[in-house]
Amino acid sequence: MAHILIVDDEETILFAMGQYIMAQGCTVDTARELEEAQALLSNIRYHLVVADLRLSGIHGSEGLDLVAMVRECCPSTRVIVLTAYGSAEMQQEALRRGADAVLHKSMPLADVADHAMRLLGCAA
Amino acid sequence: MTPLLRDILATDALQIVFQPVVELIGDKLQLHMLECLTRGPRNTNAARADVMFEYVRRKRVEPTVDRACILLGLHAAAALPGTPDLSFNTHASTLGRDSEFPALLVAMADEVGIDPSRITIEIIEHAHGWDGATFDRALRTLRSFGARIALDDVGLGHSNYQMMIDTHPQYMKIDRYFVHGAHADLDRRAVLDSIAQLALRLGARVVAEGVEDTRDLLPLSDAGIDLAQGYLFARPLAAPELIASGWLQPSAPIAAPARSFACPA
Repeated sequence: MAHILIVDDEETILFAMGQYIMAQGCTVDTARELEEAQALLSNIRYHLVVADLRLSGIHGSEGLDLVAMVRECCPSTRVIVLTAYGSAEMQQEALRRGADAVLHKSMPLADVADHAMRLLGCAA
Repeated sequence: MTPLLRDILATDALQIVFQPVVELIGDKLQLHMLECLTRGPRNTNAARADVMFEYVRRKRVEPTVDRACILLGLHAAAALPGTPDLSFNTHASTLGRDSEFPALLVAMADEVGIDPSRITIEIIEHAHGWDGATFDRALRTLRSFGARIALDDVGLGHSNYQMMIDTHPQYMKIDRYFVHGAHADLDRRAVLDSIAQLALRLGARVVAEGVEDTRDLLPLSDAGIDLAQGYLFARPLAAPELIASGWLQPSAPIAAPARSFACPA
């Protein structure tokens, strides 16, 4: 069973996406801030991380820090970055740091889940 | 304050459990001290202690959370029967950044009727980023009240020779990585022997952490290590379980688990 970490500072998104991905048969952990996600990543191996680019932090691109951490501490973990406002440069930077996909937050949950399942090698 | 930190610091959110550190005397055991451990709020990511303390370090709020944990731990310990020695985990960064911590600890202990000479401060997570002079002053203050110092996780990370020199610990706690499976691993036995000899020279006692297998008792004994902690003896116990377990009864030492296993040469 795939173990997935969803990181977003909006509770409603965490809840809705968590429910949707759990319905695909995955185990889901959620984190609301960068340090919470980092603490989980330091102790738990996830198959996939789905992280918002902006997490109410200082520089507004905390998701990039998470991508870098995942690539350093657990290279086999796949990463999806979600962005609502990110520029093309920011998206390129996420991919350069090792994100497997950068998706717009307006994308329907079904499509996000579809991306997630394909990255995990599962049928959605 | 962030939601998770608010959860951690909420009233009644943290739970205290105690794990015995035992002294191996021949084929008997007796309680040496109790390590007071904190469990984070249920139904949050901080329910896992390793996640909670990693989060706390990343938020750089170690002094705040260490104060809360020790205050709760002291209150929980004060309600136990008898006067067992106690150990509390404290971040090196708390001792190095919170200059009021030692005096506060002593005051909190005094308030609940625990003599500071019963207390051992286990220094954890020694990554730098704190003031060395404040750290040294904290250790001196704690010692002046009779408290003892333990170096946790010896052999891993920053728990290194420099920290042994800087802290002059009365206890060195060897991480379970070197203990578990030592009966069948000459390299681990070599590390145990080496740390035990070093501790002897430095005037410290060694505690073997994570003992789960009776077969690992022989290499500990061979190395001269007579203090141990782990699920083989007792898991971390809430106060009522600890009282019911009999560990706190002032009776004769109890028989050790069988250790009649052959140890590979």
